[in-house]
This record gives sequence, C-alpha cells and structure tokens, in this order.
Amino acid sequence: MIDQFVVFTPSGQVLYNFSPQGKRLAEIQVNKVVSELITNGARRDESSHKYTILKLDQFAGMCNISKHPPLVFLCTYAAQELEQIREAEQILDLGINLWESLELYQVMERNTSRQGGPKNHHNFTWVLQDCDEQMSKFDEYFKLKLTDVKAAKTKIREPPIKANPQTLKAPSKKSAINVKSRKWGRDGIMEDSSTQGDLSSLDFSAEGTPEVTPSAVSEVNEKAFGTRTENGEFLIKEIDELLSKNKRGSAEKPTASTGAFSFLQKHLLGNKSISQSDLTTVLEKLKQKLITKNVAPEAADHLASRVSQNLIGTTTANWTSVETTAKDSLQQALTELLTPGVSVDLLREIQQRIGDTGKKAPYVFSIVGVNGVGKSTNLSKLAFWLLQNNFRVLIVACDTFRSGAVEQLRVHVENLAQLTDETHLRGSKNRRGKTGNDFVELFEAGYGGSDLVTKIAKQAIKYASDQSFDIVLMDTAGRRHNDPTLMSPLKPFADQAKPDKIIMVGEALVGTDSVQQAQNFNSAFGKERNLDFFIISKCDTVGDMLGAMVNMVYATGIPILFVGVGQTYTDLRTLSVGWAVDTLMS
Amino acid sequence: MVFQLSNTVLLSLLLVLISTALLLIVQKNTTNVIPGHKITNRDPTFIIAGPSGSGKTSLFNVLTTDTVKPTVMSQTPNVAEDYMLPSTVKSFKFKLIEFPGHVKLRYRLFDTLKESTALKGLIFVVDSTIDPQKLADTAEFLYDILALTERFPEGVDIMIACNKSESFSSRPPLKIRDALEKEIGKVIERKAKSLSAVNKSGETIGESGSDDASAASLNFQGIRDFNFDALDGNVDAIEGSVLKNQIEKWECWIDERSVN
Repeated sequence: MIDQFVVFTPSGQVLYNFSPQGKRLAEIQVNKVVSELITNGARRDESSHKYTILKLDQFAGMCNISKHPPLVFLCTYAAQELEQIREAEQILDLGINLWESLELYQVMERNTSRQGGPKNHHNFTWVLQDCDEQMSKFDEYFKLKLTDVKAAKTKIREPPIKANPQTLKAPSKKSAINVKSRKWGRDGIMEDSSTQGDLSSLDFSAEGTPEVTPSAVSEVNEKAFGTRTENGEFLIKEIDELLSKNKRGSAEKPTASTGAFSFLQKHLLGNKSISQSDLTTVLEKLKQKLITKNVAPEAADHLASRVSQNLIGTTTANWTSVETTAKDSLQQALTELLTPGVSVDLLREIQQRIGDTGKKAPYVFSIVGVNGVGKSTNLSKLAFWLLQNNFRVLIVACDTFRSGAVEQLRVHVENLAQLTDETHLRGSKNRRGKTGNDFVELFEAGYGGSDLVTKIAKQAIKYASDQSFDIVLMDTAGRRHNDPTLMSPLKPFADQAKPDKIIMVGEALVGTDSVQQAQNFNSAFGKERNLDFFIISKCDTVGDMLGAMVNMVYATGIPILFVGVGQTYTDLRTLSVGWAVDTLMS
Repeated sequence: MVFQLSNTVLLSLLLVLISTALLLIVQKNTTNVIPGHKITNRDPTFIIAGPSGSGKTSLFNVLTTDTVKPTVMSQTPNVAEDYMLPSTVKSFKFKLIEFPGHVKLRYRLFDTLKESTALKGLIFVVDSTIDPQKLADTAEFLYDILALTERFPEGVDIMIACNKSESFSSRPPLKIRDALEKEIGKVIERKAKSLSAVNKSGETIGESGSDDASAASLNFQGIRDFNFDALDGNVDAIEGSVLKNQIEKWECWIDERSVN
C-alpha cells in the first residue's frame, strides 16, 4: 500500500494528489522529499530502478522528474519492501502514461509558454487553466486503473484462488463510477467510432480481460448503460485504448534539421532548442576544464548531468550560444552545490548556548582530518577568532599518538595567550597551574592509546564546565581515512565526548582522493552522527584549483564554512560561494 | 562614379550602425545600479520572498487565480509576467515573481535583486505563528535582502506580510516587526564579529574593493540600534491570511506602490 501519489511542479503547485486511505495531502512528507531533492539532487545510484528512489527516515519516495514541462510525479510508501517498490513503480507508470495520453503535457506547455493560453482578469494563465475536464478524467481513470493494479497484485500473490479481477474490482468501482456512468458511456461511443481501426492491436491480456473485437465493444457499450460493472470494464478499455494510442503517437518525433542555419543558431543567433547532441561536446569541454581544476571526475559527471537535465529541451535565449547557456547552467549547478543547505551561524549558536544554560556546559568542537592537513593550525586560527570575540577557550590535546603533538599545541596556546594579553610571559603557568592564561588554556594528559583519548575528552569537558570555559576545542590525531583500525576509535570518541560540532579539515591540495576522505570521515561517526562542516585549508597554495571543495561537498552534502588562506592566525575566512564558483569557472 | 558613391554611402551607413550599436551598449551599461552586474530585468517588478513554509506560493496563487490551491515546497520561482491587480485604476501591469525560500536556492532571489532596475516592492512573507524568539533565521534572511535593496538610491519598499493571522497563536504584526528589528540588530553585531569572507585575490583581508564584500557591509553598520525607519525604503508590517483569503490589506499595499 502506498502512502500517497502526488503530481506537482517544481514551482510548488500541487496538480493532483491521491491517497488510498482517502487522507488529505500530507505536505510535510512531500516537503521532505523536495528538500532532499534540493540538497542532494536526484542521484541515480541504483540503476536497477526506473525511477529515482529517495530513502528518508520514515518513508521512501519514488519519483519521476520531467523537465519539459517541469513536473514531478511522486509516490511515497512506508516500508522498503520489494513489493512496495513494484507497486509504486506501476502506479507511477500509470500516472505518467495517463498524464501523457490526456495531453496534459501539451496543455501545460501551452499555458506556460509566452503567448500563453486564455488569461484571467489578472492577465495570468495558471498551469492547468481550462483543463478541469481532463483533470476529472485523470482522477477517474487513475482511480479505476489503480484498482486494476491492485487486482493484478492480489492475483500474483494468491495464485490458487482463481479470483476473477472483475469481481474483485466491482465493489470499489461502484462508488467511483456511479454518478457519471452516463456521461462516460457517451464519451465511449465517440471514442469507439473514431478509433475503431486501432482496437485490433490492443493487448488486454495484462489486465486479465478477454480479447474483444470492435463489435463486441459496441455491444458492451450498449449494455453499459444498464450495468455498472460492465461500464467500469468498458472504461478500462477506453483507458487502455487511450494509452496505447499515445504510445504510437509518441513514436514519431520530428527530426531536427541540420545545416548552416542551425549552426548559426547554435553558435550565434540563439533561440535554438537544445538537444543531447548539442550538449555532449560542450559538456565534455566543461567537464575537462573542471577536472583540470582538481574536481573529481565523478563530481564533474554529476554536475554535467545536472546541466543536461536542466537544459535538454529548452531553447537558448536570443544571441546566446549553446556553450554560454551551458556555462551559465553549470555555474548555477555549482552555486547550488556549494551553498550550505542550512544556515550555520556559529556565533549565534555559541551565544545561545551560553545564554541558555548560564555558562554551565561549554560548546565543544572537535577537529578531525587526515595527517598533515592543518588540523592544529586551523584549530588555533579558530581559537584566535573566538578569543577575539571574548570567549574563554580551552584547547584540548587529544592527539596522544604523534610525538610532539602536545608540544605543538602548547606553542600555539603560548602564542594565543600572548596575543590576548601582552603581559603574558612565555612558559609561565596560570593560576590553575596550566599553560596559558585566563582566556586560553591547554588541557593535556600526555601520550597513550585510544582509551586515553576518550578519557581526556571527558575530563576536559568536565574541567571546562567547572572552570566556566565557554568553548572547548579538541585536537585529534591525524589518521588515514582508508584504515579501519585508525578510523574506528572515532565513533566511541564522538559518542563519549558528544561534541557540538565535528569539523573536518581537508586540504585544497589533495585531488580526487578528497571524495573518499570526506565520505569515510563522514561515515566514521556512525549512522546518527555526521560531520558538521569542513574547513578547507591551504587555499592560498592552489591558485584557482579549488576542486577539492567541490569534491568534498559533492561526496557528503556537508557545507564548507571556513577556508584557510595563509599562515597567520588571521588567515581564516568564511567561504564566499560566489568567489569559489567564479574561480572554478574562470 | 556611381559605384564609388554607393561604396561611400555603404561605408557611412555601416559607420552609423556601428556607432549606434556602441552607444546603445554604453547606455545599457551606464544604467547599472550595481556595478559589475548585467541587468536582465527592467520591468516594474514586485517580489514575493520569505522563509520556507510561510505561504509564499499560496499567496502567489491567491493573487493570480483568486483561489487557494494546495502547494508544496518550491524549487523554482513562480513568475507572472504583465500581472494586473483588478483594483488598479489605470490597469498598471507589472511582473510578479515568487522565489523559493530554501536556503540553497536563495541565490536566485539575490541575483534578481542585483539585476533588476525597477523594483516596486518586496513582499516578505512571514509565518506570524512563529515564536518571536526563533526569528533569528528569518531576520538573517531579511538582512541579506536589505543589504541588496538598500543599494538602490531610494531603497525598495518592503512589506512584512504576517501570514496565517487566522491562527489563534498568531502574533500582531507590530510585535513581529519589533522582534525582527531587534534580531537584525544582533545579526549586524554578529556580522561585524565574524570572519570576513574570502575575496577575489584570496589572500588579503576583505576590503571594500570587491563588490560582494561591500554588499555584506551595509551602510548601517555604524548605527548602534538597528531601526527600520532609518532605511531608505519603507518597511511595513501588515497582517493577513492567505488561507482565509484575507489579503485585501496586502493588495492595497501593492496598489499604492504600483501607482507611484
């Protein structure tokens, strides 16, 4: 049993919705799907399915997204059973076919085109202006055929009971047809007489109805005024006829004319409708360009597919070549990819935390990453910024593995202490006997195994709340992302320390491997916990090769918050999406 | 001789054509309000914006078709070209654009704000049932919009449309306006404290040189307490309900703006 079937446009208009339980439209469910589509895009990882399947926490959604005209068919269902998937697939098939055969696509195209359809007194044409009749037909046909889908399903499931689909269908159909039986019967006659030739080729076997000759149809038709069941049966035939007629109609497509004029249109004049063949060379070129900027091929492929999805079927603007249009579209796709899906305002969150709990619990950051990407350096930069905002910061040396890691942090803390308080004497202890001063302090407990790390983390948080520190910054050991023995301690660490934000530092220098790095680190914390954001370091060393940014966001959907652009404490910047996109596209 | 003459005539004609073309191009570029952005929209325009789930698409539907239709989260803007309010006396036509509220898609709104020359007004739809304490995100969004609209010489008039007034938990528009004012004040404070954005050269501190940096650093940076009245554009908060079709006050507001 599916939850609901919804047809809506990307602009948010719900054109049709149906729920087997007769419930009203559950917007929240659809919104979740749409939000997922926006943040992660429609990625086709399971090629075995015809439609895009999105798995969300409570339910799954199967959808078909057509771009021209823009329309989404969505079917949501509760569990992830094979049977459910098949049912949803059939329902989507049915919905799309019906939509097509009732020529609703054409109506939509007409209504959204420049000339438009009939306008109301607001000088506006709604997407489905003047198709009430078609929509009520759609509704009726859809419901009718749906019982058919279900009947077929029960038949498959219980083969010993030779259930006649006709009897199975009868009760539910009565209510649907009752009112309009006369009208549709009359419609049927018209349909019948006009398309008699087509009937012989119809295949009714799938619906479990006997083969019929045209004369038989008219016979049924005449009877249809009397009995409801047969009327329903007849309607199904009419629908099937409609569907099969459409299949033949769509087979013949106009072929694009080639020649000098189309060449001009493509490169200079514009106003050309874009086809797959126009785009392949252009996209290949753009993809190559992205790859030279360190973007991983899979990320480049994803972006290119997004562009072709958006463009195929559209017409270019006047005086615009296909190439420029594709470039613009790629720019958009990049912007959408890099823009964070939720607004992250660290200062607000920290202020809220401190305000709420009355300085009881500190705000905890933990910083992870591969060896040598600049975890400690960026941690100190972050600490410097937080110190400037008058927070009291405790830096915790959770890297108990690499020799010299604690000493390195001590140097940073000394530096930071000196920067906040000029009278600070290097190497002196504060009144609690630790390195640092009143604003910034180092929490250390020597070197040891991974058990020690969790112990230090817990102790540090307790110490921080006792000494009323606002912020705890935990430095962890660098680890290779494809070594499970190194990665596995991360999960218990996150479970125990419960950091508010887990930050991964990735370097801009790394190439394609960044995809794997981000993915592995993101999954290292278990199902419930993800990374919160990235800091991309060493951006000053790569020039315009910022591909690593794209890769990491593509791989995980987690935003980049900061970029490191130099060696000093002030060289930490928030990411400007416009800047990154411009650099990548230049 | 004749051949010669026609050649010179042709040449001069060509010259005239080229110079007019150049003139047109130069003119096009000089009307830029915000340097560095090409203008794509010169029509008188009203914009509907706001956070997700506030009822923007529904409002758009009511404005364009007079009926409340079911809606879900938008992914693309809704556009009504040459839209007409029936109440407008001299049948003033304008463009009505409704933008999606999702954070990832806001850049389209910002681009349009940068690339339009004749913005008549902006309808910022807010869910009035929201707790004023939780308006921070909304305030941030409004701040981002203001940062762009205030770059026009006379600003852009903004209506905070407090939707869902039919709900018993809705709050009066003035309260929402005050809460937003306060939150924007905090946003400005935070913006001053937070790290500057990376800019073109990628190395130096974000100075006012690059235009994106100056966009963020609005000229009301120096003001102690942020106040809507200090802006160039008027900011009004008006209640209404899309679901109950009570949007007369909003239509009046649009009407007033479109007449001028």
